[in-house]
Amino acid sequence: MDRNIKISIRNLYKIFGPDPVGALEHVRGGMGKAELLEKHNHVLGLQDINVDIHEGEITVIMGLSGSGKSTLIRHLNRLIEPTAGEVEVDGENVLQFNEDQLRKLRRERMSMVFQKFALLPHKTVLENAGMALLVRGFSVEEFEADAKKWLARVGLEGNEYQYPHQLSGGMQQRVGIARALASNSPIMLMDEAFSALDPLIRSDMQDLLLELQDELQKTVVFITHDLDESLKLADHLVILKDGHIVQQGEPQEILMSPNDPYITDFISDINRARVLRVRSVMKKTTEAPPDCAGDISDRDNLESVIARSDGDTDLTYRVVRKGKQVGVLDMKELVKALVPTEATEGDARSRY
Amino acid sequence: MATYDFLFSSLGLEDWCAEGQSDGPMSMADLLKKTQGTSSEPESLWDTPFPSMDALNESCAAFPKSRELTKGLEEGFLSIKDSLSVVLDPLTQPLSWALDGTLYGMLNTPWWIVIPLLLAVVFFVTKSWKLVGFVAGSLFLLAFIDYYRYAMETLSIIFVCAFICVLFGVPIGIAMSRSDVMQRLTIPVLDMLQTLPPFVYLIPLIFLFSVTESKLYGIAIILYAIVPVIRLTNLGIRLVDKDVIEAADAFGMTSRQKLFKVQIPLALPNIMAGVNQTIMMSLAMVVIASLVSAPGLGVLVLQGIRNLELGVGLVAGLGIVILAVILDRVTKASLARINASQKQ
Repeated sequence: MDRNIKISIRNLYKIFGPDPVGALEHVRGGMGKAELLEKHNHVLGLQDINVDIHEGEITVIMGLSGSGKSTLIRHLNRLIEPTAGEVEVDGENVLQFNEDQLRKLRRERMSMVFQKFALLPHKTVLENAGMALLVRGFSVEEFEADAKKWLARVGLEGNEYQYPHQLSGGMQQRVGIARALASNSPIMLMDEAFSALDPLIRSDMQDLLLELQDELQKTVVFITHDLDESLKLADHLVILKDGHIVQQGEPQEILMSPNDPYITDFISDINRARVLRVRSVMKKTTEAPPDCAGDISDRDNLESVIARSDGDTDLTYRVVRKGKQVGVLDMKELVKALVPTEATEGDARSRY
Repeated sequence: MATYDFLFSSLGLEDWCAEGQSDGPMSMADLLKKTQGTSSEPESLWDTPFPSMDALNESCAAFPKSRELTKGLEEGFLSIKDSLSVVLDPLTQPLSWALDGTLYGMLNTPWWIVIPLLLAVVFFVTKSWKLVGFVAGSLFLLAFIDYYRYAMETLSIIFVCAFICVLFGVPIGIAMSRSDVMQRLTIPVLDMLQTLPPFVYLIPLIFLFSVTESKLYGIAIILYAIVPVIRLTNLGIRLVDKDVIEAADAFGMTSRQKLFKVQIPLALPNIMAGVNQTIMMSLAMVVIASLVSAPGLGVLVLQGIRNLELGVGLVAGLGIVILAVILDRVTKASLARINASQKQ
């Protein structure tokens, strides 16, 4: 990783209950979530979380409901106070911020997109989009141009003077995204931002986010329970289960070598051909293959390669990145990669 | 001999009891008992009285009777009354001025200014010509049967009292919504105000203020009518969507910004429902308050009862119904307008 670390979460614990600090001792002593609930009636929200979030990347935190992912994202802007641990943004410990510093952080450096949109129902789309600026004390006239620009960018030109309830769910979430973008903050927190939308619109919104990300290079923290979504968006994937991190890393890597049966379960029924990319299954070499069937990009997914080879498993392709060869892909390797991997700590199969 | 003699003798309190024996004048009840010659000794276990204050007093003269308890309350109240008045009188004086001023203004402005003005207000808050027509018809009807003056008196009192209810009720409701302790402390008071029979408000107020002062009925109306606006403001703010509040926090709103830009606007439908209820309850109380010199249609109702003038009472009652319908429709229509502008 050559990018800067924007947000760093260190040994973060969150325990819900009347005496979280007391319960923390038990957890550090090795007590699990179920036992803690039964014996001490405290809920273990997050347990020893360590994540580095890099600048300009989309970090996806994935887990099923109850895994603590929404709790985790709310620690970044301190909507929830942790029981123990540190959250550093640009090297500053957020947990030591006083109220003014915290407000400044929320106003200028972090914006948030919510699952249920959470727009102000009594304000127009334009006023909603400019909410972050309104909060900072700008008048509608002052932020109108800015808000309109971002609304246009998310495809809501002409809807500025409607009210949120007049828009469909997908359009409302576009307002939510425009609101976050208009705040001009380098960090964007997205809490299950697309989970309430139907699949087609969700896919549109994911494309929109990737498109915006290419252009703006924000630091995005994205929460989801949907594996396909996380694989599509993630530069860095963190998988949570019962409040602790099961595995984190590059999504392709997790896919090729899951280290936990939980993840194997999770990834067993995804469409691997669509998700896996050539770079994850190719053999790294600069030697030209003897009988090259053609050039493919290392970013192509396997599906497109299969389509191109017309199902012929005897072919070998040259993998090219920016005009230079970076590897060779044997179609037999590709087909083998489509079989879900068993969970093994040090997977014997060579991945590169 | 009375039923509970044994109690005092076994406790060795006979001497103390004997001290209470007095040769003072007998009460009516004692006198009746004596003339009827009934003994207080019960014939059987079946008739054993509950060991109440009066029953114990029969066995021991030094034990206070229940009337002495209520008398003590009266005396206690009377003894603090003067110092209470010193504090309360200046505090509540503006209420008298407001009531007297509004009454004077409404009654001394000619009808051809007051009625169009009221209709303009109705149109401004409801934007409905139908409702304006209805209100105009009702007011002309009341004026035609010469009840205009009384109706205007009732309306002025309601305007002033409802305005003050909102002025104090909304901030109290907001305070309740922000602090659970405040809510726990306030709710019993609100429950009491709401369940206390309306006449009971009048009793202490009559002692505190002179019956000629308009603040006397003003306070009674306000105490009775302020409850719904407080309750519904509190409820409305507590019911504001948690997600929207979280978004407001996440974008760094101060709590003042949150209150004025999010919570109050979103609670407005509930607050307006409370205002509607408050107006209806002040209308109910303004009739009862005519017992303590509140002017208006209530006076006519009272006159109808007192002088057995059936017609006067009935028509005045009908006038109150008309006012109630007007006030209810107008506030409901403005409430509907607010609702329409912010449904989710």
